[in-house]
Amino acid sequence: MSDQGRFQGNRVAITGVGETEYIRGTKQTLIEMMAAAALDAIADAGLKPTDIDGFVGNRNTPGADDLAYALGIERRPFSAVTDTLGGTAPAGEALRHAQLAIEAGLARHVLVSYGIWSTKPGGVYGFHAREPQKAAFEMPVGYFGQPSYFASMANRYAFDHGLTEEELASIAITYRKWAVMNPRAQRREPLDLDSYRQSPMISTPLRVADCCLTTDGACAYVVSAVERAGDMPHPIVSLAGLGIGTNGYPHGILFTQKACTYEYPGIDSADEAYAMAGISPKDLDLAQIYDGFSIQALVQTEMLGLCDPGEGGRFYSEGHAAPGGKMPINTSGGHLSGGYVPGINLLIEGVRQLRGNEGERQVLDARLCAVAGLGGNSHSTAILARL
Amino acid sequence: MGVPNYPPALEGSHFEPFYEGLAAGELRVTADPETGDIIWYPPEVVPGRPDAKLEWRSVSPDGKAYTFTTVVRSLLPGDHKAEVPFTVVLFEPDDAKGVRIPGLLVNGEGVEPQCEMRLRFSPVRVGDHVIAGFEPA
Repeated sequence: MSDQGRFQGNRVAITGVGETEYIRGTKQTLIEMMAAAALDAIADAGLKPTDIDGFVGNRNTPGADDLAYALGIERRPFSAVTDTLGGTAPAGEALRHAQLAIEAGLARHVLVSYGIWSTKPGGVYGFHAREPQKAAFEMPVGYFGQPSYFASMANRYAFDHGLTEEELASIAITYRKWAVMNPRAQRREPLDLDSYRQSPMISTPLRVADCCLTTDGACAYVVSAVERAGDMPHPIVSLAGLGIGTNGYPHGILFTQKACTYEYPGIDSADEAYAMAGISPKDLDLAQIYDGFSIQALVQTEMLGLCDPGEGGRFYSEGHAAPGGKMPINTSGGHLSGGYVPGINLLIEGVRQLRGNEGERQVLDARLCAVAGLGGNSHSTAILARL
Repeated sequence: MGVPNYPPALEGSHFEPFYEGLAAGELRVTADPETGDIIWYPPEVVPGRPDAKLEWRSVSPDGKAYTFTTVVRSLLPGDHKAEVPFTVVLFEPDDAKGVRIPGLLVNGEGVEPQCEMRLRFSPVRVGDHVIAGFEPA
């Protein structure tokens, strides 16, 4: 980025985090869940709702006017909408908007709230059906929905690099080990290779256990200037680095026509984030990686430089990302076992780990955490640091 | 193996020539007549040349599978339980580098689908419409 020198790390901090419970079949609307998470985050930051003067939403969630109304906030001098999808938006792009607003003096405390209502009528894959090219060329042959898209990526990855069933299974098994220790996780029953193999197949080679959970829930966080964060309730968790990568494939053609279908723009985002933070992957204590599907997490683990390219399967099967491993990953259980509020619940887990109060799943002396978000043709890497 | 039954949504689109080609036993894709470049899927606007108009041309029925998956639980809207399992391949025609046409793997009983397996176009009639099918070559 040509003007990267002007966007520097450790200028803003995540000063409050909040979340609803993660369930399937909520009685609440999306705005109700988002407002509840927002109030939780604002209280966690030691603030009142009227202290919030900036909002960052997403094009797929209720806007700042609705959320501010729900929170009883009249003044909102700054509001912005992220234009990326999935995890990139709340775990990456929203942080960039928040820092820009704070550094420009437009806001003191920026609220980011994001929610998902997966069990709403119409299901989670309805947006694919609205893509004319998918409706014309893919749906008639039954190629529809993320499990099939990512299953075909997994088969190509396996062809290019090798990937055994045991190695693929080890990703879901690893994250479940973390979820067992997380009282908020949606799936806490232990998962081993036998129970993985009993998980229903969706689209070869991906089973239910390889797919993110169906979650109704919301999360929120507050971003403030680092110098203000020192007077707030928690240890300072700053944004040390941030990178966002994109590719040139719109959503309608992304899953079939990209030269290598499993190459997300993750290397670009990671390189940018590490450079901004002045660190390398070896400096990280843990990572939270967007795991809409197990194969996605494997590929991003490589892209973040946590293992060599093509070695992701062995990295997980050898236990390096599991409790006690050299690089703990998705310590809440991730999206496969913890809950699926795209990207943002991973970010919140990263903040809480760096605060140092995650109980039996706390990573000892955690000071640097990478949070990777993926969404369509975009990818984000955020480096969080405990100052 | 099953066959998905989900007619293409073509109303208001400019994709009809693809299905006319399937019915005629041809694979047709879109190309920029000025540059000769194949641009697939057909976009509403040609990248970098918004005034350009695409034309349809036939491509080779022979090619290979970029990748595949066997769908065991159909996620298509509606009830399609009786239509699974089926295997979808992303077919790359020999004479159209970088183009991938989704289709059904047919006549492949006893054949383990694999990336890079050789395939030949074999259209499949489903009720009133025809879909792209590919059989092991």
